[in-house]
Amino acid sequence: MRPEPATPNRPLRMLKTALSRYWGVIAVLVIWQAWVSISGVNQIVLPQPVDVFRDLVAEPGIYLRNAGQTLLLAALGLILGMLLGTVIAVLAWSSTLLSGILTPLGLVFSSVPVVALIPVIARIMGYDLKTVLAIVVIISFFPAFVFTSAGLKTLPPGSSDLFRVLGASRWTRFTRLVLPSAVPSWMIAFRLAAPPAVLSAMLAEFLMGTSGLGYLFRSAASGFQTERALGTSVVATVISVLCFTFALWAERAVLRKWN
Amino acid sequence: MIALSQERWRGIVLGAFGVLLFLGLWQLIGVNRWAGLTWPPLTDVLTFLFNPSRRALFGRAMSASFSMIALGYVTGAAIGIVLAGIAHLVHPLRPGLDRLASVVHAIPAIALAPLFIVMLSREMTGMAIAALNVFFVIYVATTSGLVASTAAHRDLFQVFGASPVKRLMRLDLPAALPAIVSGLKYAVPAAFIGAILGEWFGSSRGLGLLMVSAMQNFQIPLLWSAVLIASTASLLVFAAMSVVEHLVYRRYR
Repeated sequence: MRPEPATPNRPLRMLKTALSRYWGVIAVLVIWQAWVSISGVNQIVLPQPVDVFRDLVAEPGIYLRNAGQTLLLAALGLILGMLLGTVIAVLAWSSTLLSGILTPLGLVFSSVPVVALIPVIARIMGYDLKTVLAIVVIISFFPAFVFTSAGLKTLPPGSSDLFRVLGASRWTRFTRLVLPSAVPSWMIAFRLAAPPAVLSAMLAEFLMGTSGLGYLFRSAASGFQTERALGTSVVATVISVLCFTFALWAERAVLRKWN
Repeated sequence: MIALSQERWRGIVLGAFGVLLFLGLWQLIGVNRWAGLTWPPLTDVLTFLFNPSRRALFGRAMSASFSMIALGYVTGAAIGIVLAGIAHLVHPLRPGLDRLASVVHAIPAIALAPLFIVMLSREMTGMAIAALNVFFVIYVATTSGLVASTAAHRDLFQVFGASPVKRLMRLDLPAALPAIVSGLKYAVPAAFIGAILGEWFGSSRGLGLLMVSAMQNFQIPLLWSAVLIASTASLLVFAAMSVVEHLVYRRYR
């Protein structure tokens, strides 16, 4: 058998892989373009991608400043919300009474549209930056609480008996067995909470109209600067995809070490 | 009389106590104005909500929002199940569909709003975002459920020469039903979120519009009422789906 000429085939193979992974995304973009061309939507209503790109390159400062703020608030809120959710889940784990009270409440809140609380929280706390942060903390809290609680309860089979036989104290059992076995669930919560953190930060900024990407989006939309509005969409998507990819990468890295 | 274990009863009592504690705390904070004037007591919100003069206002908003939520839910679920079926039947298409679902999921809804407003209308934007949210949940649930049929059953269908479509309809889809129903349950709040935030982008009706205009105009009881209606409705549908899920699990597992 003669050896495969590796070099000329490589780009072709890469193209094939890319096509098999991204044909769905490409198809959607093609349909979108076809829809715009066929229905003949006005250029002012829906600008060309080129115009959006030009606005992004022409005014990088505005985009960077607002995107940086949104990203910072979303990341900080996500971390604080995850911490708070974990602490409450651990407290609930330590007492059957607390767990009996808090677990159904956690279930209730994860079955209601929490995003609808944004206007309420904004009104209670006033229109400023700490409100955006508080909203992201609250939105990130629920998945962290629900998944960490579930993780604290699923111990590897037999491990609990082993710790009891070895006469481990409650504290040793907690730090050496219960907490480590909750890590995979915690990483799932982190991955699930990352995109909503960015979204809720943007929605809060959009509704209050103070600053950040959401504000930029709102002012552009109300001033009929459609290139700016779509430019904001592009930046928001990039941020959100980056956060999600980071969370996914972190989850895989941690799980690989864990198993 | 259904016999419940002592543990189960304890759970129900504690859970009810937790919910009552939450509602009591809401009332207490409102009455004493610990959170200022923007936190009304629960009783004030309920009085406002059930005042007969507001029945028309809330009725209109509810029928607008709920019809969009229902339409988005059904559309999203149908697309999710059909695409998952296609990914299952035509295996080479699977990576592309998986990637499409995760890209759609990672794009913040606020970024898609301008497109939907132009391509559909301001009124239909909520429906479209709800459908996208539901699609993602159902697609993931269905693709993971479709591989749940056992190898012995698959071999049996193979031996009898069943066509792939027949196998999907008679074996894989019934085996996936529990996973799909669980997905349908978790898709309920996702549909509500999608429709409500879709209405924030300039819709002329619906609960989302009520929330935004009440927030901007300091109509605190109205704001809390709209949020309470949306949350209660989502909770009720979620609870109903939990019952369905329980029945399906008992039948199919």
